[in-house]
Amino acid sequence: MIKDTWRFQPFTEEPIRLIDEEGNWIAEFPLDLSEDELKKLYRDMVRGRLLDERYQIILRQGKTSFVAPSSGHEAAQAGMAMAVRPGFDWLFPYYRDKTLLAAIGYPVEMLYAQMMATRLDPNKGRQMPEHPGLKELNVYTVASPIASHVPPAVGAAISMKIQGTGQVVLTTFGDGATSEGDWHAALNFAGAQGAPIVFAAENNRYAISVNFEKQSGSPRIADKAHAYGFPGYHVDGMDVLASYYVAKEAIERAREGLGPSLVEFLVYRYGPHSSADDDRVYRSREEVEFWKKKDPIPRFERFLEKQGLWTPEEGERLREEIKAELLAAEKKAEDAGMVPPEWMFDDVYGTPYWLLEEERQILLSEL
Amino acid sequence: MPVLNIVQAVKRALDEEMARDERVVVLGEDVGKRGGVFLATEGLYPKYGPDRVIDTPLSEAAIIGAAVGMAAHGLRPVAEIQFADYVFPGFDQLVSQAAKLRYRSGGQFSAPMVVRMPSGGGVKGGHHHSQSPEAYFAHTAGLKVVVPSTPTDTLGLLKSAIRDDDPVVFMEPKRLYRAIKEEVPDEEFTIPLGKARVRREGKDLTLIAYGGPTVEALEAADELEKAGVSAEVVDLRSLVPWDKEAVLESVAKTGRALVIAEAPRTASFASEVAATIMEELLDQLLAPVYRVTGFDTPYPYVPDRQYMPTVTRILNFAKKALDY
Repeated sequence: MIKDTWRFQPFTEEPIRLIDEEGNWIAEFPLDLSEDELKKLYRDMVRGRLLDERYQIILRQGKTSFVAPSSGHEAAQAGMAMAVRPGFDWLFPYYRDKTLLAAIGYPVEMLYAQMMATRLDPNKGRQMPEHPGLKELNVYTVASPIASHVPPAVGAAISMKIQGTGQVVLTTFGDGATSEGDWHAALNFAGAQGAPIVFAAENNRYAISVNFEKQSGSPRIADKAHAYGFPGYHVDGMDVLASYYVAKEAIERAREGLGPSLVEFLVYRYGPHSSADDDRVYRSREEVEFWKKKDPIPRFERFLEKQGLWTPEEGERLREEIKAELLAAEKKAEDAGMVPPEWMFDDVYGTPYWLLEEERQILLSEL
Repeated sequence: MPVLNIVQAVKRALDEEMARDERVVVLGEDVGKRGGVFLATEGLYPKYGPDRVIDTPLSEAAIIGAAVGMAAHGLRPVAEIQFADYVFPGFDQLVSQAAKLRYRSGGQFSAPMVVRMPSGGGVKGGHHHSQSPEAYFAHTAGLKVVVPSTPTDTLGLLKSAIRDDDPVVFMEPKRLYRAIKEEVPDEEFTIPLGKARVRREGKDLTLIAYGGPTVEALEAADELEKAGVSAEVVDLRSLVPWDKEAVLESVAKTGRALVIAEAPRTASFASEVAATIMEELLDQLLAPVYRVTGFDTPYPYVPDRQYMPTVTRILNFAKKALDY
């Protein structure tokens, strides 16, 4: 069934925003989320933040070798997570999506296991940290080459359309990805096919050190959708409710057969690009402080407080509860033990190959 | 038995597999209404419709990348790249996505897909319509690489490639597309990947070849016979996985080997085969294993045939091996 009215206009100059900095609901439509749903959004954001902080600690402890900081991205990710049907729709995420993945139910101990390459990682510790994936929840395993997952995301969406499954693909990426040829090739093909897919740009304004002005002559990523024949939404990605409602509408459109959308979430990355990066050489502390004042979590707390759903004490209690859960998950992941080196030879192909058997014997003779 | 050429064998393999399994879809530039620039998908569009024979934008990255996602989601896509020389915009999708999906996901996801591409020279196409880029793919763990040289092998191997659970790069020697015709069994059959085929038996020298130059290898064997030399011709058919056993068995018997391929010599698959023979059979070799290949230049336009391993070049190297 096709609706005759949609809530949001594509290609706006100003970002779509539903709650202001003080936490007031400023939308023209009534809020229709339940108390539980609002609390889930909050919980998901807080868990994402604490997980990001905890990853820094296990990095310092030498339990992992790499972290891609995601603090500042929580509102966009928690909003998207609530807009999809986990385990039914497919996700093609990138490496900065821990809030999103935990929020759709990716077991946190498995996220930790991926970070530490222990046996509990369903990906068998094959990749560097921050590269999760879980078939059970239709989470396509993350790959490092930027934007390379976007054409496969389109392929999965075309498959859904051909088979009439009613599923939708949500694929995420940073602003840097939008300069890659594969990104444009993918959006172009999706537009031509009317594939059920939502392209979600988490625009934190930096491709490692290169700011957005040097990445594109266009002021907005959302505008690029125009050329591919589908809507592009420019959203305040530090507003969890705007993120949720716009993602929800884009996914609904895709599910109803109206084809792809591009959603640009304006976020800010509080940490450096990665644990191997020093962001002080390319951005000022004043700039980072400016954005920290716009932190999506306190902003949503102000909103919840006005709704009578939050107090500082409750916030603190929730943080303690989540911290305990994360520690338990971390321990479980760690206790599973490291992936053994001989697993190196599995899953290269689905069938045995004499060459790999020969090489396995070489390795075993060295162990 | 019907007589088929290689293009007709491709078409029959696609048709049979699409009829057998509705998950099989074909995608690429011009594969639909046009039936492919070499007509390898002719007749499929009217029979199976636009959802299963998909005309795509002119983008190899989109074609191969979409095939990966389709495969991960449960389809069995067969992508066509118009010429192997045009695969490079899709190279990242093959190498970073298709090849590593099973591995990086710990076996959770896989990409059962085929990427077909006409390859090799001899059609007056210059360097952008003539290359043999198989070494790039053979060098990438996770990809399988198949290069048939006859209609029967094309039919049986392509069907196996489509049924295979891993991504297969299927390189069709375009100069042989319509040059070779043979009777092909009417009933359905498949040929397993990874098995070489002895095309001609002999005892003095083994000519190992694949794809286009198997033709010249067989011709050279005829010439050698006239000179009283008995040459065995082994057609590798699959490069990954490759049939080491068949190769070693033949060379252990003859004591001499040439590895013949159209691709340039440096870091070639021919080098891999030659090195393996020398590592494993040094004591039994009567001469070094020579690589008889294309030259390390970009593929030329005018001396199109002279670039490839000609019968003359094969015979010269055979003499070198026999006189050693």
